[in-house]
Amino acid sequence: MQSKLSDIDLIEQTLAGNQSAYADLVKRHQRFVFTLAMRFSKSREDAEEIAQDCFIKAYRSLAAYQGQSKFTTWLYTIVYHTAMTFLRKKRVATDSIDDEGTYIQVENHESAYDADNVENKSRSYYLNQAIEQLLPDDATIITLFYKGEQSLEEIAQTLGMEANTVKVKLFRARQRLKEKLERNLKHEVKELI
Amino acid sequence: MNTIEEKLWNYIDGTCTPAEQDAIARLIEQDEVYSQKYQELLLLNQEFASMELDEPSMAFTYNVMETIRTENARQPLKAAIDKRIIIGVGAFFVFTILALLIFTIANTHFSFPAGNVKVNLPAGIKLPSAGSIFSSQVFKWFLVFDVVLALFLTDSYLRRKNTAKHA
Repeated sequence: MQSKLSDIDLIEQTLAGNQSAYADLVKRHQRFVFTLAMRFSKSREDAEEIAQDCFIKAYRSLAAYQGQSKFTTWLYTIVYHTAMTFLRKKRVATDSIDDEGTYIQVENHESAYDADNVENKSRSYYLNQAIEQLLPDDATIITLFYKGEQSLEEIAQTLGMEANTVKVKLFRARQRLKEKLERNLKHEVKELI
Repeated sequence: MNTIEEKLWNYIDGTCTPAEQDAIARLIEQDEVYSQKYQELLLLNQEFASMELDEPSMAFTYNVMETIRTENARQPLKAAIDKRIIIGVGAFFVFTILALLIFTIANTHFSFPAGNVKVNLPAGIKLPSAGSIFSSQVFKWFLVFDVVLALFLTDSYLRRKNTAKHA
């Protein structure tokens, strides 16, 4: 019964003091918010921290949500800004380690780990691996477009960009993702031979 | 102009005009290069759409709700405080000050030629001597406290501004 309620209904109930309504809202969106956070942090622990922080921030400013845009668009804007702030802080803390370097490290770590499980690898595994190798902005746009049910205009609102800029960025992100996917698959075939 | 790939992505996403849509549809039918590229991008599009979402830990929702509960549960809703209360308190002070001002002016006799201002207050009300207030030790300490408070508030405001700028 509760699952049939819309986001707006749950928000109204939360504002009326029903905290379990907010728990339902968290359950409904946690996977996507966590996935978006993963696009920035590359570590589950950090992503979970970012995602939790987002839901707490959203709760604090729930009364300020006017309902002019979709709740998800509003929530993803919080995720994007929280993740960007987290990245900036992390960069300062780690004495500005080069981004690409970090991703290559993560990528190699993943490859080494998965060398034992080659048989279990599927197309979706390679896709996720390729997405992990993208820069956060590219990965975020791809994820918002394909999994966030967001139009180009809504993505533009979330990222604070023009819709045309998002369109161009999406095109480039797809090209990069395609290249990485092809490269990973070629590498895997070589490994198997 | 756009590359073939860019045109085809626009066609797949449905972000081009109806005229462009028709033109690209015709090209896909007639041109082998377009047709092959279209099939390739269509497969890629399906593949991208099939990406899986990551799953947070089992205790995720619980952790969020626990954090919210431990922070004051009603605090997030403070924006919903009735503004009429704040306006009412403000109006009370403004009304009191205005009433006092009107009362004082109504009881004041101005005699400009002599350069004196006489205030006739109702019997029983005595105004304290202004000179004694300004020269008193309490007033000096009050001024010092005000200056320190002003410096403290300015400092915290600038710090907040600085933090927000770097965040």
